[in-house]
Amino acid sequence: MTAVPLRGDAPASLRVRAMSGQVGWAVLAWVVGIAFFLPVLWMVITAFKPESAAQTWPPKFIFSPTLAQFRLVFSGWGPYVTHSLIATTVSTVLVLALGVPAAYALSVHPVPRWRDGLFFFISTKMLPIVAAIGPLYVLALHVHLLDSIWLLIILYTAMNLPLAIWLIRSFMLEVPKEMLEAAELDGAGRLREMTEVIMPVISPGLVSTALICVIFAWNELFLALNLTVTNAATMPMFLISSVPQEGLYLAHLSAAATVASIPVIIVGWIAQRSLVRGLSMGAIK
Amino acid sequence: MTVLEDLAPPPKVEIKPREIGRRELWQRRLPLLPALVYTIVVTQIPFLVTLWYSFQNYFWNTPAPAHFTGLSNYTTVFTSPAFRGALVRSVVMTVTAVIAAMILGVCFAVLLDRKFLGRGIVRTLMITPFLVMPAAAALVWAGPMLDPNFGLVNWLLQPFGVHHVAWLSTHALGSVILVMIWQWTPFMMLIVLAGLQSQPPETLEAAKVDGAGAFATFRELTFPHLRPYIELGVLLGAIYLVNVFDAVRLMTNGGPGTATTNLPFYLYQEVNNAFDIGGAAAAGVVTVILTIIVATFALRMFARVFQFEEA
Amino acid sequence: MAQVKYVSASRVYAKDAPPAVDALDLNITDGEFMVLVGPSGSGKTTALRMLAGLEPLDGGRVEIGPKDVTFVPPKDRDIAMVFQNYALYPNKTVAENMGFALKMQGVHKDERTRRVREAARLLDLDDKLLDRKPKALSGGQRQRVAMGRAIVREPQVFLMDEPLSNLDAKLRVQTRSQIAELQRRLGITTVYVTHDQVEAMTMGHRVAVLAGGHLQQVDTPRHLYDNPVNQFVAGFIGSPAMNLQAVPLADGGAQLAGTTLPLPAAVRTAAERAGLKEIVLGIRPEHLHLANGSGELTGEVLLVEELGADALLHVRMAGIGSQMVARAEGRKPPAPGQQVTFRVQPDDVFAFHPETGARLAG
Repeated sequence: MTAVPLRGDAPASLRVRAMSGQVGWAVLAWVVGIAFFLPVLWMVITAFKPESAAQTWPPKFIFSPTLAQFRLVFSGWGPYVTHSLIATTVSTVLVLALGVPAAYALSVHPVPRWRDGLFFFISTKMLPIVAAIGPLYVLALHVHLLDSIWLLIILYTAMNLPLAIWLIRSFMLEVPKEMLEAAELDGAGRLREMTEVIMPVISPGLVSTALICVIFAWNELFLALNLTVTNAATMPMFLISSVPQEGLYLAHLSAAATVASIPVIIVGWIAQRSLVRGLSMGAIK
Repeated sequence: MTVLEDLAPPPKVEIKPREIGRRELWQRRLPLLPALVYTIVVTQIPFLVTLWYSFQNYFWNTPAPAHFTGLSNYTTVFTSPAFRGALVRSVVMTVTAVIAAMILGVCFAVLLDRKFLGRGIVRTLMITPFLVMPAAAALVWAGPMLDPNFGLVNWLLQPFGVHHVAWLSTHALGSVILVMIWQWTPFMMLIVLAGLQSQPPETLEAAKVDGAGAFATFRELTFPHLRPYIELGVLLGAIYLVNVFDAVRLMTNGGPGTATTNLPFYLYQEVNNAFDIGGAAAAGVVTVILTIIVATFALRMFARVFQFEEA
Repeated sequence: MAQVKYVSASRVYAKDAPPAVDALDLNITDGEFMVLVGPSGSGKTTALRMLAGLEPLDGGRVEIGPKDVTFVPPKDRDIAMVFQNYALYPNKTVAENMGFALKMQGVHKDERTRRVREAARLLDLDDKLLDRKPKALSGGQRQRVAMGRAIVREPQVFLMDEPLSNLDAKLRVQTRSQIAELQRRLGITTVYVTHDQVEAMTMGHRVAVLAGGHLQQVDTPRHLYDNPVNQFVAGFIGSPAMNLQAVPLADGGAQLAGTTLPLPAAVRTAAERAGLKEIVLGIRPEHLHLANGSGELTGEVLLVEELGADALLHVRMAGIGSQMVARAEGRKPPAPGQQVTFRVQPDDVFAFHPETGARLAG
């Protein structure tokens, strides 16, 4: 839906109405956008404040910024960010490694009676992992995986796999049938078909999927909180540790929150189109 | 005026399609197996273990080993007002957040569907809440936003006669739900936006020519077209929102009292504070069973979403 | 029912781009079936959409009846449109599709049903189909529903954007005559866009030929065929196309295939006045009469296309070796490789200016 420009000699009343309609729409959209973004903006602003400036009434917009909070954050974040990076990237790689063949089996050469396979995967997301947290803890303890980065990797992979399969499958369904048939005629076997025809076509889709997996894995708190202590503590845990029990540390927690969130926000912004495509694809197909 | 293509075709002899050979079938199943096996092992084993523990009396903080206790854990769960309260609160929070996020999502999708100056930037701004770490969002809302004495929200609402409200005390549930809505509206918006942009423009032009104004077009054409998208958004959103934990733990810690305790938080408390593995397991199983019941209803809606895929 | 006028109507898409429609002046009388024909990019669809109100005008105006509708939104123009891809409402039944515009006008349900039934009968749409959704219909049925949606409204003007292009050949031929008959019966002013000149010639009362956003010629099919005003119209109208060949001028005529074809005096004078050394010669295939050895133009048959009643001969002419198409009797056409001669009447020869394409005549 494009706004139709009006000529100079259109009747004035029509021009005014069209103009004000367009301006009004833009203003409304911007107001909504800024309102939604405001908490994030406030978080970043507060992160640059000394604590004294963060606890004022009325809240300060003008103040002398400082990097003190960030310095504090960066001095402590080392192991946490490492664990987050490892857990996120390894689990995402695993998700793709398992998900791509699975999506292939559910789309390009489906098994007639196994169509419900997709439903099975989605159903695992419907059963809340929170329900099993107690026994999961005990189980992890027995197999010596408690407070291990591998436990998180295993669980994050299982957590993201259903959504990834759904998304990758929808991307594979987009590959034109004629392309696959041409490859078959050219003598390509299953493997070649996958590597030379399908993967190149769906690679933007794989990026979208990986992105969504990264977002969910990086941001995950519940499992990290319950199943790790120090050896596998991730960024969300770091965030919690930056909020002491007593006292108000608004600026400090804002800095920690900013640092914890910024990677995913930046990546999400840059790959925005990819992200939107991923979500839309899942919706359309 | 007979048209040739309306003539009935001659009756056919029954021909059944050839079945796919066994070897081919297994070749097709193979790629699915790793993911399938992995998922079954990682998701079903914990569930089976949970099931087993639900029949055990096992307290983490005592030296006594687990021993069989029949259905006593379940009795406790069903008679526990805490569990029932958590269940009710889970339903309230999820339903409210999903509906509100979807309504807002539709409105904002409509807003973003038209070209205007800076539309790309506005979209970027609007998807940010979804990208923010939920733990960070919870802390930022709890602190710099909603703090009774220094929070931005109180300051912004001053002209409307609001004075230093202690949001997390007096409106705890509302505050948590607000954050849930804030984080998930972008998700709903993107799905609905995909739906809006998949409408064939010619159909909308035909409606214009047929005399439909903006509202009539939305009501008669756009909304029916959006239904599968809305249903998908509601389903996926509900799946994620029912498991919300971060906001509860970090904004109100389930309180004041149990005002914001939902099922995930209740289970967390059972494990971490009560150290009651058996009880938590039973509560977990009941949660799962309830989820299955709800999911069966959702299955009917879901089947339509699947049909829609295949169309 | 009303007349339609384009007065110097223009549409430009980008600032420095050539106009999609360039100062179109076209009068369509009340009840007339006007066909806009031209190759893709000629501006015919844009012109139609300007009439519909789906494209704004960047210059000039459009009138329906006595009213200037240039700034009137589509829904207030009292028009109905049949889209190329039918644009049926997917979530509505056939009956709801056809009754939609009436519903928007606030027409009562019973009245709506009556008019929908009537239109369905007119189009031979079975009652059973009325409750089906578009995706359960065949292409031909969908096309008729799209027409029905327009008919039900009893508008002042029908607009049709290539409604037959998605049908297979046989259906197209059938539906073509049905549409023409329908329009005759209803008597509603119709503007019909197509790229197919056969459709244009068989359906329209008058045909407007467009190219590059400009109106080339508007006339009855007969006149367009017999009196094309420029090279483009001459080559576009008529199938198989007129043979067009750039040839040098000689004393008394034009040089073709080794001989000098006599040209009418008027043509020669026009060419002289324009100071031309060569012209573009145009001869229709049916005007190349096969002569058994006694014709002025000689050539060798390359290919014979047998159409049943006729045969089309692709001939390489003597001299410069240009290719021409000639129409011959279907029964015993010459064989490929055979040498043949043709006779042509001077009056059947067209001449066009080699640069402007304008017809050279008295």
